[in-house]
Amino acid sequence: MLLDLSGIQKRFSGVTALRDGNLSVAAGEVHLLLGENGAGKSTLMKIVAGIERRDGGRMLWQDREAAFASPAEAAAAGIAMVHQESPLAPHLSIAENIFLGREERLPFGWANRRRMIEKASLLIARHRFPLRAHWQVDRLSPAEKQLVGICRAIQHGSSLLIFDEPTASLSGAETEEVFRIVRGLRERGMGVIYITHRLDELRAIGDRVTILRDGATVHCGPLAEITTERIIQHMVGREIVSIYQRQPLAPGAELLRVEGLTRRGVLQDVSFAARTGEIVGLAGLIGAGRTETCRAIFGVDPIDSGRLFVAGRAVRIRSPREAVAAGIALVTEDRQRTGLALRLPIAYNITMTDLGAVSRRGLLSNGKQARVTADYIARLRIRAASGRQAAGRLSGGNQQKVAIAKWLFRHARVFLFDEPTRGIDVGAKAEVFQLMDALAREGAAILMVSSEMQELLQVADRILVMRQGRIAGELPRNTTQEEIMRCAALAPEAAS
Amino acid sequence: MMQRLLPFLSLIVLFVALAIASPHFLTETNLSSVVRQTAVINIMSLGMTIIIIAGGIDLSVGAMLAMSGVLGTMAMVAGLPVPAGILVGVVTGFLWGVVNGFLTTRLRIAPFIVTLGTLGIIRGATLIITNGLPVHGLPRSFSFLGAGSLLGAPFVLWVVVVCALATHVILEYTRLGRYAFAIGSNEDAAVYAGVPVAFHTTAVYALGGLLTGLAGMIEASRLMTGQPSAGNGYELQAIAAVVIGGGSLHGGEGSVIGTLIGALIMGLLSNGSDLLGISPYLQQAIIGGVIILAVTVDELRKRRGGAEA
Repeated sequence: MLLDLSGIQKRFSGVTALRDGNLSVAAGEVHLLLGENGAGKSTLMKIVAGIERRDGGRMLWQDREAAFASPAEAAAAGIAMVHQESPLAPHLSIAENIFLGREERLPFGWANRRRMIEKASLLIARHRFPLRAHWQVDRLSPAEKQLVGICRAIQHGSSLLIFDEPTASLSGAETEEVFRIVRGLRERGMGVIYITHRLDELRAIGDRVTILRDGATVHCGPLAEITTERIIQHMVGREIVSIYQRQPLAPGAELLRVEGLTRRGVLQDVSFAARTGEIVGLAGLIGAGRTETCRAIFGVDPIDSGRLFVAGRAVRIRSPREAVAAGIALVTEDRQRTGLALRLPIAYNITMTDLGAVSRRGLLSNGKQARVTADYIARLRIRAASGRQAAGRLSGGNQQKVAIAKWLFRHARVFLFDEPTRGIDVGAKAEVFQLMDALAREGAAILMVSSEMQELLQVADRILVMRQGRIAGELPRNTTQEEIMRCAALAPEAAS
Repeated sequence: MMQRLLPFLSLIVLFVALAIASPHFLTETNLSSVVRQTAVINIMSLGMTIIIIAGGIDLSVGAMLAMSGVLGTMAMVAGLPVPAGILVGVVTGFLWGVVNGFLTTRLRIAPFIVTLGTLGIIRGATLIITNGLPVHGLPRSFSFLGAGSLLGAPFVLWVVVVCALATHVILEYTRLGRYAFAIGSNEDAAVYAGVPVAFHTTAVYALGGLLTGLAGMIEASRLMTGQPSAGNGYELQAIAAVVIGGGSLHGGEGSVIGTLIGALIMGLLSNGSDLLGISPYLQQAIIGGVIILAVTVDELRKRRGGAEA
């Protein structure tokens, strides 16, 4: 065995990420690593690549006990990770990137540029990569950048390559190219660990498969001996204890209607409606177009075609400002970047959406602002010293409540929640769900994007599933994670 | 809290030290000359405060000051009444501010580059308009703006006080001020919250230009000429005043009171050096050192504060 992991454990400040990680890879094998978000795949691979250190368990590398203290140590031993976004120096050539840090040295620190280009060209030709050694890296497509990362790994004498969702952001043709290259690596006797969420591409590439669930390996065996159905069952697990289950209400009038939303290369003919009192779930894999749908509705990204109706009236939305004016709110997936002004007080963040409501005779009123803020801090149980505290000093869950509060203050009616529970703890999650439920009861229409299928089942009235920029299907609230996964991850012909 | 008061405490220490070191410091003549000398930078740095809070910067204010002074005085020489001439100067600054704001928001060019460009354009245009020669022959009454007294204090002191109060009210009690903080702290979050970012950013530069135009007329009144070379390097002094007073070049932080203290510290440093016979060459170096010191202290405070992004 090239690599043999058994009983690997890892805890992050009290939270168990891995409790029993087992995996073995032979030379000349493509080993698939599957599991839901948070199952521990990335943590396990980070331990192998020397990015994280294990708390327990055994790791044999080429039949010898090993523990890598840094990525450099792992690389020296022959293990390399190809990231989705390979860390490359954009202004240097492909050859320079391949040899970065290991240039052929001449006296006085001169680099032997010509020999470097020659050696890189040789390497590229040997693997039949569609690249030229002198090309500058910042002009390359994401797929080509991954190839440069692969070249780097090969040049540095790696015998095990780890791919973390290499095809998540690639087109069909580029995906085929990655498959061809991975097969080529296998033929040359290298070991490959391949993480993916796209179940329809498994058979095209894998030899054996390991499935992780809740930090433990639940299945390991040849891919030929397991059906896709069984794989899904293993990933999702049998018994799921639900902490919160929303009681749906009879939905009222239609509040939001989206017709034929299209943004070339991103969204294709997305149509759906949401009624007052309704929470519509939006499921799909990373890159399926869920966040892009929210951004298009909210006017962040321009659309090529499509129409929007709010409460039956056609609205044209070309900027977030127009969306806000139409009564639409977007709770973004990235609070730090787009949700909050972290250095400003909580009060400034909440009232930013409607300063007129805290003004008196054209001037902002500190009194009104303090009352409003205190009211939301109490109602949403935001744990803060005072409304003057900087939003950035709050915990993730409390920051999220502030991000929601600013839209409550604006009296928005259509809410787009993009990954509303990302990075917040279990208690705060339940509170956010209750808030969403209360909003629906007060007559809002809610679109909820989530990668956690369990959450969608807990909260949503029905679930739309996106796949490659389209709505691939609609499932009722009593559906199963298996159903959602099948719809999100399998091409229509494979599903039938 | 202690560190937030640091600029203020430094000012007091500096004041007391100068009072002890020089018998000429605490005289009415000297203090009123400090006020007159610092008024121009003071008013410019008020505008710079809002610009920096909104995450921007304006390097063109020095050149803008010169063009305002030149056009305002030319208007007076051409026969316009003094108040109308002053208005011409103020409007000149305002319009250049609009241009700066327009270029940064519509063409999405970094304000550092935009205003570096307009700095050259404005200065060049001013020299072309005047042929490089100062504007002479101004009405005698114009000198009141820079040299007159009202209620026993220099008239410019009242101008500074009114401008400072107005700027403070704008920053703390109006939409424009609040949006300036929001844009400077996190422009994306402001866009997502529905804030009309382009309009308010432009307004911020326009306000900075307006105040610079007024400062240009005060400078012209003090010199009783319209100098095409006036205001050279003033942009750096204005930025320094904001930064010494606790403004952050990352945006989202700053205050009128802080900026006034910052401008006063620089004014006292230069006045004190004069009184103590320190060479003007060394003064420049001292002020440079103070700027670096002030920013270092501020950064240390923030780093120790942690948590904040």
